[in-house]
Amino acid sequence: MTRLQGGLIDRSRTLAFTFDGKRYQGHPGDTLASALLANGVRLVGRSFKYHRPRGIVAAGSEEPNALVTLREGARAEPNTRATVAELYDGLVARSQNHVGPLNFDLLAVNDLLSPFFAAGFYYKTFMWPRAFWEKLYEPAIRRAAGLGELSELSDPDAYDRGYLHADLLVIGAGPAGLMAALAAGRAGARVILADEDFRLGGRLLAESDRIDGAPAMEWVDTVRAELESLPNVRILPRTVVFGVYDHGIFGAVERVSDHLATPGGAVRQTLWRITAKRAILAAGATERHIPFADNDRPGVMLAGAMRAYANRWATAPGTAAPVAIFTNNDDGHRTASDLIARGVPVAAVIDARAGAQAQGEYRLMAGAQVVGTKGRLGLHSVSVETPAGRETLSVGALGVAGGWNPNVHLASHHRGRPVWDADKLAFVPGAGGPEGLIAAGACAGQGSTAEALADGLRAAGEALAQLGLSAPTVPLPQAGTRQDNVAPIWHVPGKRRAWVDFQNDVTVKDIALAHKENMRPVEHLKRWTTLGMATDQGKTANVTALAVMAELTGKSIPETGTTIFRPPYTGVSLGVLGGGDTGAHFRPRRLTPTHHWAKENGATFVEVGPWMRAQYFTRPGETHWRQSVDREVLAVRAGVGLCDVTTLGKVDVQGTDAGVFLDRLYANAMASLKVGMVRYGLMLREDGIAYDDGTCARLAEDHYVVTTTTANAGPVYRNMEFARQCLWPELDVQLISTTDAWAQIAVAGPKSRDLLTRLVDDFDLSNEVFPFMACAPLTICGGLRARLFRISFSGELAYELAVPARYGHALMARLMEAGADLGATPYGTEALGVLRIEKGHAAGAELNGQTTGQMLGLGRMVSKKKDAIGNVMSRREGLAAETRILVGLQPVDASAVVVPGSHLFEQGAPRNLDHDQGWITSACHSPHVGSSIGLGFLRNGAERMGEVITAANPLQGSEVALRVVPSHFVDPEGGRLRD
Amino acid sequence: MLIPHPLLGLRDAQEFTYLGDARLIERPTSGDEADLAEYVFQRDNPAGLHRELWFHEQGDRSWLVVTRNTLTHEILGAELARDVALARKEGTA
Amino acid sequence: MTDLSPLCALGAPAPRRVSLGALTLAETPDCGLASLALRRDTPPPSLALPEPGRWQETDGVTAFWTGPGQWLVEMPGCAEVDAAARLAERAPGASVTEQTDGWVLVEITSTAGAAPVERFLERAVNLDLTRFAPGHATRSTVEHLGVYLLRRAEDRLGIWGMRSAAESLWHTLETIAGRLE
Repeated sequence: MTRLQGGLIDRSRTLAFTFDGKRYQGHPGDTLASALLANGVRLVGRSFKYHRPRGIVAAGSEEPNALVTLREGARAEPNTRATVAELYDGLVARSQNHVGPLNFDLLAVNDLLSPFFAAGFYYKTFMWPRAFWEKLYEPAIRRAAGLGELSELSDPDAYDRGYLHADLLVIGAGPAGLMAALAAGRAGARVILADEDFRLGGRLLAESDRIDGAPAMEWVDTVRAELESLPNVRILPRTVVFGVYDHGIFGAVERVSDHLATPGGAVRQTLWRITAKRAILAAGATERHIPFADNDRPGVMLAGAMRAYANRWATAPGTAAPVAIFTNNDDGHRTASDLIARGVPVAAVIDARAGAQAQGEYRLMAGAQVVGTKGRLGLHSVSVETPAGRETLSVGALGVAGGWNPNVHLASHHRGRPVWDADKLAFVPGAGGPEGLIAAGACAGQGSTAEALADGLRAAGEALAQLGLSAPTVPLPQAGTRQDNVAPIWHVPGKRRAWVDFQNDVTVKDIALAHKENMRPVEHLKRWTTLGMATDQGKTANVTALAVMAELTGKSIPETGTTIFRPPYTGVSLGVLGGGDTGAHFRPRRLTPTHHWAKENGATFVEVGPWMRAQYFTRPGETHWRQSVDREVLAVRAGVGLCDVTTLGKVDVQGTDAGVFLDRLYANAMASLKVGMVRYGLMLREDGIAYDDGTCARLAEDHYVVTTTTANAGPVYRNMEFARQCLWPELDVQLISTTDAWAQIAVAGPKSRDLLTRLVDDFDLSNEVFPFMACAPLTICGGLRARLFRISFSGELAYELAVPARYGHALMARLMEAGADLGATPYGTEALGVLRIEKGHAAGAELNGQTTGQMLGLGRMVSKKKDAIGNVMSRREGLAAETRILVGLQPVDASAVVVPGSHLFEQGAPRNLDHDQGWITSACHSPHVGSSIGLGFLRNGAERMGEVITAANPLQGSEVALRVVPSHFVDPEGGRLRD
Repeated sequence: MLIPHPLLGLRDAQEFTYLGDARLIERPTSGDEADLAEYVFQRDNPAGLHRELWFHEQGDRSWLVVTRNTLTHEILGAELARDVALARKEGTA
Repeated sequence: MTDLSPLCALGAPAPRRVSLGALTLAETPDCGLASLALRRDTPPPSLALPEPGRWQETDGVTAFWTGPGQWLVEMPGCAEVDAAARLAERAPGASVTEQTDGWVLVEITSTAGAAPVERFLERAVNLDLTRFAPGHATRSTVEHLGVYLLRRAEDRLGIWGMRSAAESLWHTLETIAGRLE
């Protein structure tokens, strides 16, 4: 065991966990990574390309190597960073990306083939023979790609979302963030303090710093207690603010129960959308390493992480052997001091700076560099080049300290480019960052504890001033200042591979190759080598990489520039983005008033946008949908059918100028419509294309009801409001949607009048008093308010009866009961479709956004006498030259099937665009005709009645001979309608 | 994004549907095809301030004219489109 | 009176009700609703018409602002009568439209003051709660569903949703309230 004394772990409880099938123990407060190190486990995975043995490098979310699959079964989560996985009792984890055991990965042969896998290799390989790509190369690459594997089982966990509003969002609860939250909280601002860790304190959790003469964590606990007591402060631990969006909107994910064995009744994670007037970015800094030969062995880690493991988690770095530090700055020495204080033997501090001074009781090798390592499955020695010659040190771990990079990421989510600070040798947030976001503390280059505390206070003062609140007096706690004196020693040159991006296996040689191949600008370097493109987004690698490129090109680092960042800061699961609902509840459904009645009566439903509509009703004995649909169609034409048509949009239009308004909205005249009548209406887009058809009923002088197709209910309403508010605001007209308010049932067929007579209260339904296209308010069934419209979609004598929606179910049941002897039959959308195709009535397939009134055979409806939307443009040359017109199509061979989407050609003509004569829009089996029929647009169709043409379906390689016929297959004279 | 609704204050952009150039308010009444074609098909596409139409579909169903910087997404203001349309008509009356 | 029997929006003869922790959700089918839009020459009606973002009660009916010159008016107990006709009597010369059955009303009440209602609203809708105190009414979305929300009191909320989406709305409200326990 490599466990040390102290640390922020709870030794009173022991937690059991399993890694690669082996059982270990840890304590509350451990992460999986710290617990593994405490158990002497250094080997945790295999690298992406070369399958080299890898160990834990960092102590936070920047970890590139220690990606494990956490949990099992449906809850298994691949690519989880062991460094942020809170340990719980019964935790099960497996290493990833190896064939065979972790310590004997068969794919390690890739390492021997590494010359073939250099950066950009896939741009130069897998090209020949061409036939091999689809069958061999691509499947092989797909299998090899990625690190972990998905369980491919449904996620059983629940997720949640929420919306928070604040005056100030503080991102990060280290010294800067805590000071800022404290000041703002005391000032009475609404504050949200978010931190990705499970405990507040940020970097202070990992350091041996003292504040006001006491251990820093005492100050943290005091501040936390005060913040928790303030009603205007909300603390969100385990919460990553992953993105900065426009206007002070932030995305954050709270890991509500990731740290529990099972969520129990709780959600797993919550997606928070935070709207804040101001924000303080106190996101800290991430250490970078120094590439040298074979620097990727298990046991080589960041020096700052090494001391975090010692201080916070009371563990030596996975070994009881001595450790060494390789550094280019003073911070590396702190690790040595802290380790020695905790009883970890330090063999030496290898400082690349010639003038380095020791800062404690340890051996200092100044002006020295690590030039090699040994220990494939775990470090056992390093080779050091000193001014006095080469020396080998036997060590179990090497802490590498290359300097600290401020976590500028969120500050550049809005294009703002970080700026190079030549003193600190780091990028700090530049101007042009997100409006209202103030950087403070280590992420602004103010990294030492005293600086961070002061900077947090400064930032809070700025934010409060901008919010118009007065800043309270907050005494600045006493803490230490440090200088790092970092030297620009970015890597150790050598012949062997030196890793820069551990996760994507990118080395200094790869950067040199990119340079050689002229992929020199940072954006090209990144994409050519894939450096910085793994799940860690190059957090420990990016700056080092562009420093190496800068050396190669002879430019300065600011001249070389840096890539910037997009959300998310760390990976966000699709589950939490998807939010609460899955399966049937994934999106809202709209149900018609007769939905439950239909279900009870054998309906199969179809989704029509958000609506569930009855598609057909299956009677006992029917085994195929065609049986049901054909029966329904015949029942309508022979007796009476009932169909719920509530889903069609209804807009109530009132006002003294209602008629004038509608006249300008419809292509045909509406102001002339008489009270008590309905008219079929066509609506055009302003470019002359037909976009919706429906009816307009005039209930009173100043009161109309407009109907639309189901699909266009929303867009038509939107367009009507646009016309009302933006085009003709001077008209006195008011609109409101009434689609849901009225249950509307189509009663269609030769017996429909007979049936309705049995329901209406004292109302004359005779043809003389209530002719085709009449409408009226009335009562039915002993006083229920209703509206009756005599309109027909089927071509039969037909009506639509509307009642308040709460009575829709009862009405349908009553119609069925009262019409039993008349053959009353419910019918669904399939039969609805067959009936209207038989009638030659246009619907969505014909009004597809490409067709005009002229093409629909409704050219005469487009008035030349008035200004209406689309009327002028409908007469433009390009549209006037169009000769395709709606016709009916019937197969020559009665057993052939008409396929919608087929294109029409003269028999024998070449099947190409030049000879294309039109296309088929709708088709169905017609019980009336006894064969499949269709509607379509055909050039000069009206003059070609009786001609035989060919419908070509090249996708399925079939052709059908069709006869051109009038589109009204049933009752072309329209006598039944007017009966 | 947040839209500063003139009557309701700051509202989430997700409550809105976006249409485009506010010049769509200026529908020609000349009946001339060339004027209509210009209105229907031609748009400026500025990199910078843009006056545009947003519909508060999940709110009060008002059309708004929003002035937005297409480069930075800064929104400088919003007016009821109805007021803009009326003012324009009064101006040309 | 008609012999046809009405159903509630959630598909049953009786309204649904559930208590989850401190919150109770109650489907409320007996409230009539009609919309009122002022015409150019409409005289001031005999009920208070509140400003944007508010509701106001007059003699037992509550009007809430829905758009420029437009309000919806709640008439408790009037679901089975012609609510539009009733409203037209109080607002002659206005454009009045029946809306009762276009919507489902869910009343949410808390037995523990404002906190459960606020925690509920945090998960349900993107609203700044400091601008949604009692007296406010607004339209917004809850899980992609458009709803009107009325803050009747610190501990009471009225939610009007599209009737056709009642089951989806109820499921969402119940899930949110259930998770707060």
